[in-house]
Amino acid sequence: MSAVGQISDEIAASPLAIHGLTVSYDHRPVVHSVDFVVPPGSMTAIVGPNGAGKSSLLKAVLGITRRLTGDVRVFGQPFSEMTRHVAYVPQRSSVDWDFPATVIDVVIMGLFRDLRWWQITGRRQREQAMDSLARVGMETFADRQIGELSGGQQQRVFLARALTQQAELTILDEPFAGVDAATEKAIVEVLKRLREQGRTLLCVHHDLATVRDYFDHVLLLNVRRIAAGPVESVFTADHLQATYGGRLNQIQLARLVAPATVVSEDI
Amino acid sequence: MIEVWWSALTFTLGYNTSLVTIGAMLLGAGAGMIGTFVLLRKRSLVSDAISHATLPGLALAFIAAGLVQGDGRWLPGLLMGAAASAALGLWLVQLISARTRLGEDAAIGAVLSTFFSFGVVLITFIQSMNVTGQSGLTDYLVGSTAGMLASEAKLIAVCALGLLAAIFVLRRDFLMVCFDAPFAGTQGVSAWRVDLLMLTLLMAVVVIGLKVTGLILIVALTIIPPVTARFWTNRPLRMVVLAALLGALSAYLGVTLSSINEGLPTGSLIVLAAFGLFMVSFLLSPQRGAFATLLAHQRFRRRVHLRQGLLAVARDEPIFDGLTLRLLQRRGYIRRDGVATPAGHSAARDAEHEERLWALYRRRYPDDALHQEHSGLEPIARVLPPDAITALEALLQPRAGEPT
Repeated sequence: MSAVGQISDEIAASPLAIHGLTVSYDHRPVVHSVDFVVPPGSMTAIVGPNGAGKSSLLKAVLGITRRLTGDVRVFGQPFSEMTRHVAYVPQRSSVDWDFPATVIDVVIMGLFRDLRWWQITGRRQREQAMDSLARVGMETFADRQIGELSGGQQQRVFLARALTQQAELTILDEPFAGVDAATEKAIVEVLKRLREQGRTLLCVHHDLATVRDYFDHVLLLNVRRIAAGPVESVFTADHLQATYGGRLNQIQLARLVAPATVVSEDI
Repeated sequence: MIEVWWSALTFTLGYNTSLVTIGAMLLGAGAGMIGTFVLLRKRSLVSDAISHATLPGLALAFIAAGLVQGDGRWLPGLLMGAAASAALGLWLVQLISARTRLGEDAAIGAVLSTFFSFGVVLITFIQSMNVTGQSGLTDYLVGSTAGMLASEAKLIAVCALGLLAAIFVLRRDFLMVCFDAPFAGTQGVSAWRVDLLMLTLLMAVVVIGLKVTGLILIVALTIIPPVTARFWTNRPLRMVVLAALLGALSAYLGVTLSSINEGLPTGSLIVLAAFGLFMVSFLLSPQRGAFATLLAHQRFRRRVHLRQGLLAVARDEPIFDGLTLRLLQRRGYIRRDGVATPAGHSAARDAEHEERLWALYRRRYPDDALHQEHSGLEPIARVLPPDAITALEALLQPRAGEPT
């Protein structure tokens, strides 16, 4: 990926390869010189403490915030030429849910880029959108006003909008933040099914306890890249300590690193 | 008087008046459409800055035309001058809000008043100039269609048509940026570019509307119809179409009313017509109107009484409240002597089951329940997706036999 070098096979095959990515707000780097190659067909978590630059990294990759330096490639091509291969699920809080729109209106927005200006959104778009809504268990909510939805339902609608795009890579920003347990389960199911179909998922994730259950790869980030790779080899006490510093105590660490045990929930 | 108005309403008051009416209606439609997008982008105040910033350009164009041909009233020139100074004002607003710590509202206030003051000074100067048509310049403040030339009306109509076409082409980009600008960015729709286009079209509306409503009142035509439309629909593109119709209707009423008497200011009448439509919608809209809100409150009160009554029946508790008793009786849930009927027992069981599901939901997901826009009285299946209900039912199952 250097100016004179050839693009390696690994990068050409990867749905997202980041090199030397730096993002800064007013001379303060929030993401510093991060290299990361997302393995194809993986479900990867970006994990780190608050202010570690997780969302900033995603936004810089997607071109939403400007990056200071760095190279972002999708299957070896510059990101800007490959936007069709990438779907994005923003944080719920990024939009005004009082907007005059129904659930189906929002989902159909995922199909806008395929429509020319003289085309009218019709039955085909509606069917595609309903299909995506059914996959997140929201088909009965299609004509509901978005302002009436709960947090979990809003998240499902955003996921449905991304599903309409049938992208190779789906990037999600904290999809489990503030959602109910049923929604978390439903979203994980949808994401795992996408992975079974060979799609790649990249997810900012804040709940360390579920990293082992949900993901196969992980990027530990605290402004800089701390470690990255398969969860079994990278999600270790040493690496977590390096990422979180004193914010995790020994007991918490021991529990996180131990193999996942199913705890039955009591009501 | 009524006959004159009727002739105007039916487009039989002559070619010129009809042309002016049609031009104004197209303008009203354009203002309603672009105004809706600007409102949804939460930048309605910008149109105020644009309109006031047109004045110095308008005056300078008048002076230039006056010096060249002795008469400053040349509409295309005036509109170009107005557009140029509006663009300058808009650019200054962007510059101030991007480069300083001032917010956009403060920048708008500063630019708006400065440009308007400069324009007023220039107009005062024009009054002392030796050119004809000075008095016509005040028409651009509050609008006047009396004595408008056919060529002027045609220019306005053609520009407004072009504007409508441009908005149609850009509708989906506008919508995406208004709802979710970062997402639009990932779709190859740059928010920066779309905002620029939106403001350019807004500026075009303001400039074209100068002669019809005047620069002080054009703002109303970009704000009131969209706000009125919001009373009648929850869907974005329907809101745009509705705002266009309301804008056209306001313009139609205003222009025809002003034909009753040459002295009546067109712009003011258009705005008053728009406000009339707003008031009607505010009172009568079935979802958000004042009456509907009142009725909904009454309905809600009855639902609370009914639910409490049914729960009392389920728990075999006595009911004292008069309204509760009346509601239960009217639905055949209790007899006149207060004893529950079979239908009453069945409804009471359902109510209690619903209540248990809601209570369980609130206990399991307190944050979620807090942020929901529900009262806890509607069927829970209307609020939660089926898989969530199934999960709750499963949790409820083993306890169903136990006494509560």
